[in-house]
Amino acid sequence: MLLQTHQAEIETIIGRYPSKRSAVLPLLYLAQDTYGYLSPEAIREVAEILELPPTQVFEVVGFYTLFYDRPVGTWVIQVCDDVPCCYVGAEELIAALKATLGISEEQTTADGMFTLQRVKCLASCDRAPVVQANLDYIYDVHAERAEELLNNLRARAAEAKQRGVSGRFAEDYLLGPQGIVHIPRDAPYQQERGERK
Amino acid sequence: MPLSEYIIMRELNHPDINQFAVYRRVGGWETYAAALREQTPAALVQQVKDSGLRGRGGAGFPTGVKWGFLPKGVYPRYLLCNCDESEPGTFNNHQIIDRNPHQVIEGVALSAYAIECHTAYIYMRGEFASAALLLEQAIAEAYAAGFLGKNILGTGYDLDIYIHRGAGAYICGEETALMESLEGKLGQPRLKPPFPAVEGLYGKPTIINNVETLANVPRIIEKGVAWYRSHGTEKSPGTKCFSISGHVNRPGNYELPFGVPLRELIESPEYAGGMRGGRPVKIIIPGGASAPWLTAKHLDTPLDYEGVAAAGSMLGSGAVIVLDDSVKAPHVAYKMDEFFKHESCGKCTPCREGTHWLVKVLHRMAEEGHGEANDIPTLHSIYRQMEGNCFCLLGESAVMPIKSALELFPEEFEAIVKG
Ligand SMILES: Cc1cc2nc3c(=O)[nH]c(=O)nc-3n(C[C@H](O)[C@H](O)[C@H](O)COP(=O)(O)O)c2cc1C
Ligand code: SF4
Ligand code: FES
Repeated sequence: MLLQTHQAEIETIIGRYPSKRSAVLPLLYLAQDTYGYLSPEAIREVAEILELPPTQVFEVVGFYTLFYDRPVGTWVIQVCDDVPCCYVGAEELIAALKATLGISEEQTTADGMFTLQRVKCLASCDRAPVVQANLDYIYDVHAERAEELLNNLRARAAEAKQRGVSGRFAEDYLLGPQGIVHIPRDAPYQQERGERK
Repeated sequence: MPLSEYIIMRELNHPDINQFAVYRRVGGWETYAAALREQTPAALVQQVKDSGLRGRGGAGFPTGVKWGFLPKGVYPRYLLCNCDESEPGTFNNHQIIDRNPHQVIEGVALSAYAIECHTAYIYMRGEFASAALLLEQAIAEAYAAGFLGKNILGTGYDLDIYIHRGAGAYICGEETALMESLEGKLGQPRLKPPFPAVEGLYGKPTIINNVETLANVPRIIEKGVAWYRSHGTEKSPGTKCFSISGHVNRPGNYELPFGVPLRELIESPEYAGGMRGGRPVKIIIPGGASAPWLTAKHLDTPLDYEGVAAAGSMLGSGAVIVLDDSVKAPHVAYKMDEFFKHESCGKCTPCREGTHWLVKVLHRMAEEGHGEANDIPTLHSIYRQMEGNCFCLLGESAVMPIKSALELFPEEFEAIVKG
């Protein structure tokens, strides 16, 4: 139960807002990080903590695209197919990923490793094509890099398993004294790209 | 000519400015500290008004004027910093955070003091998990140095800043939808009026500004109104981080004075460096997906609010998408309207249904290459039913791509109909 395992964190989050209901997104993230996806029980648990009717929380889960109400792969690969990405290689990348993984959009590989999704603009159009794997940005992923990308993600999942961390996003996060700390893998911005003088 | 001193992208002058100590060394947080000790909130609002700073979130509304709308004597007030950044083509907010995070936090803090508020939230799109972490660290450093918290620097002023992450929904960038989302509800827009300055978050007076807007504030107060106004144009003072993408050689963010010609941004080797493979410019979308399209004949348009409006479009968020002649106009309209359909919050019929039908017809035409005799009148009729009838600007924006495409490239639609 979240309230037992993450009590201090939950209290800190709720303390940021004059109204408890405002904590619904952060608590849903916490539940999703902990359980891997938002099962009906997980959603009801969040509702109970916030003293909200469960239907209100179910509605919120349905509204936002980053919440998963069914199990997904260890890695959810989200490829931006918006303008301009779609005109500078995103469609070729999606085709390559589909061919290599043998799945279509919204499907998960049989080994449970990858779920493939098309998403709208990820706000990194200058580094197109852009992929978000769970919450990590990976830039300039042209179709030739599809294999490399998948191998890299498989290796990270194996490493996470060895460390004994579980949960959908756990391999990207460590629990530090300040709460959950993200381990950035692909630098958010590479200065050498900003060739501006 | 590139700027010699940047207002926002200061990592170009001070490469390690993302480190708190370096930011402090170049005078960071001093403006805020001095303002708390020596200036009244009203004096700060007046300077922002005089600077002519205009909101970078899309509408270009004068920031100081907006701050002046707060009803006197009504507290608490809230400040919201909008980092939802989800419109195709826009990508400067999170890069500003990645490279110069402390200035964003100082901007939020200084603006909060100016509008007499004690709680500010930075609303970030859910995907920006690592940028959110960077800001959390910058905030923690500011607390540790005594710039945030209770009785700041012994002045009696209290301020808390929190990060709030959205979870994937473009509409939450619309100011009232953002407030709904922050209150834990579905991110659907509210009826206006009342405007947020009067009745906003939790029903209290609220100011909402874009990340880039607020990052300007410390520099305006530090260097003065005259210095700020020495950049840009009379009506669009200052600089803008233009985000340029598409078929250009060097896509990226370039901070330039307002009024720079579109051609210079696209062609200069200092900036976007011309078109890939030297191909001709076909479509220019100068202000994010919501802006009407321009073409190569508009290359001499000055990039300020007035100049782009005079060319028949809008500067919006300053996100310039440039596409070459390898694209087909009906397909670009299809992709753009697919975005709006995907992001429609479903609250009102003209937008929910209109985007659905636009995409249905455009998909058949542009993806399957299959036209029907009535397609062109049908497309006109769909967007005309949307125009002026949508509850918020998302639906109105969805009209732009199809209307522009039909107006500028009618022959490409006719060709599909003829088969
Ligand atoms: C559909 C829609 C999406 C928007 N998204 C954003 C956004 O991501 N960031 C932003 O700053 N403003 C966005 N805006 C504009 C905001 O409603 C608001 O005008 C802006 O945040 C005000 O800040 P400013 O005065 O500093 O420009 C959006 C507006 C609409 C209609
Ligand atoms: S115009 Fe679209 S996004 Fe705006 S309220 Fe209506 S349905 Fe929602
Ligand atoms: S269109 Fe792909 S990141 Fe913007």
